[in-house]
Amino acid sequence: MMANVLDLPSSRQEAWRWADMPALAAAAEAPHAPQDIDPATLFLDGVEGPRLTFIDGAFEPAHSRPGPVTIAAFRPETDHPLGAQATGEGWTLSLDKGAAVTGIQIVHLGTGGASHVPATIRLAEDATASLVETYAGAGWANRFARIELARGARLMRSVRLLQEGGFVSIRDEADIGEAASLVSIFLGAGGMGSRIDGALTLTGPGAFAEMGGALLTRGSQRQEAAVAVRHAAPEGTSRQVWRAVAADTSAASLAARAEVARHAQKTDGEQSLRGLLLDRTATVNLKPELEIFADDVKCAHGATVGELDTRALFYLQSRGLPEPKARALLTRAFVADAIDRIGGDAVREAFAEDADRWLGETL
Amino acid sequence: MLKINNLHAEIDGKEILKGLTLEVAAGQVHAIMGPNGAGKSTLGYTLGGRPGYEVTGGGAEFAGQDLLAMEPHERAAAGLFLGFQYPVEIPGVSNVQFLREALNAQRKVRGEAPLSGGDFLKLARAQADALGMNQEMLKRPVNVGFSGGEKKRNEMVQMGILNPKFAILDETDSGLDIDALKAVGDGINRIMRAPDKGVLLITHYQRLLDYVKPDVVHVLADGRIVKSGGPELAHELEREGYGAIAA
Repeated sequence: MMANVLDLPSSRQEAWRWADMPALAAAAEAPHAPQDIDPATLFLDGVEGPRLTFIDGAFEPAHSRPGPVTIAAFRPETDHPLGAQATGEGWTLSLDKGAAVTGIQIVHLGTGGASHVPATIRLAEDATASLVETYAGAGWANRFARIELARGARLMRSVRLLQEGGFVSIRDEADIGEAASLVSIFLGAGGMGSRIDGALTLTGPGAFAEMGGALLTRGSQRQEAAVAVRHAAPEGTSRQVWRAVAADTSAASLAARAEVARHAQKTDGEQSLRGLLLDRTATVNLKPELEIFADDVKCAHGATVGELDTRALFYLQSRGLPEPKARALLTRAFVADAIDRIGGDAVREAFAEDADRWLGETL
Repeated sequence: MLKINNLHAEIDGKEILKGLTLEVAAGQVHAIMGPNGAGKSTLGYTLGGRPGYEVTGGGAEFAGQDLLAMEPHERAAAGLFLGFQYPVEIPGVSNVQFLREALNAQRKVRGEAPLSGGDFLKLARAQADALGMNQEMLKRPVNVGFSGGEKKRNEMVQMGILNPKFAILDETDSGLDIDALKAVGDGINRIMRAPDKGVLLITHYQRLLDYVKPDVVHVLADGRIVKSGGPELAHELEREGYGAIAA
């Protein structure tokens, strides 16, 4: 459904101050143009499992073999301003106790305009799933995912934003139960604007929640992540490791928040936000936040922005690497902190290649 | 092989090298000694092309080419190796990955075919063995968590892999215990003692020169070579101090 008048958050609201809503609105109104991309090429080789293709938000059975993933129209229950607009045809992964489905791949190809896809991932006790999502093409891709992990369930999710232009907005809302584990790693290495938005709640004791990734921006592009992790049960672990690399006049923004409720003792939280400016005209915004009401917790946090180390750069050059290669090697190492958290070798290597391609084009 | 003529260089507008002239012929090892602040490290960095080290006069020729007109990586491809006094730690970049890319970048400039992963690993392992460096350290991030001595050994492993024509080694002996000093000295002799190669050994102490016998010793003071002589000059400096010689 194409919204005629978009109801978008205002940059006057604190949580949306860095959001590039004008770019989102422009992407939503962009005329459809055929994309010279075969969606089949967007699936990763070496990752075997169910495959789903959405073109402009519509499920394409001809390019899919959904396995246990089901397709139906629904309206997500959320008060998130963008997530609430992600209504219509969507997908659901619902696994019974102890079931395992790995290597699910979902490709979202846009040709212009707005596309909305809601998703539900519900893993029963001790169920396991791994999922890779790829965004390509153009237009505004708006996605919402409701994630529910029961006791001992595990979900590894890797998302790469490779749209050439337009905008991708993602809203995740997750409840992570006792001893369950959610790891979501994002790579923004396309030319689109983005807003990656997450609210993860550790609802059971000993839960693990991780949301992180790398945003690479150039030109006048703006990408951002805004994630809140809430420890609502004791002995939980959370990781928020984000890297931002900005070139030209682009801006990459990271806002990460960790909340620890009064009874969530023995929480182990880590928040690491680091920005790298490839040009002095670029911008990296970092906003780390901690709100801790329990007294027996460990919450490591760090936020830094800098440039490439000139001593390291010269060291590499003195060994024979041309400057662009030396810069790429150092930047790749910087980004690797975030990408290396992806569990599967094939997926991690593919994401590293996407980052390398971006570096090769940019440096 | 290396001809430095009346070289002037400054950092942040402050002149450090004030007309330095020096020539190293192929097959020779020259030592440059001098007090702190004489400009020893500046000479190494200037010849290596480090940004911020501005040449304001004079020149340097390497194997018939204008060294100062080249980018740092081109100097490396031409066969120049700069051993660092303080090797830089580079988190996230493994030794093997970096060295293979560096070697193949050099080979590309020279029009040679790239070395395969397997061939490179063989070469890297042989050099690590020869220098007494644990092979596991090849996989580790460049110099991260290495002791002072391990960093210097790693410089020599790199030199062995890159196999340069000419090495400028800046205080390669500093921070070494006696075993490491011997290993590094042996490494320099093994890799660089050849009729078509040359070495410029920058050092503060005579110690390393017990292992790597120089053909010529120069004294650098206040940005110029103030005295040159045979290996006996190093002993004289050690005995009498820089004050007496450089005055």
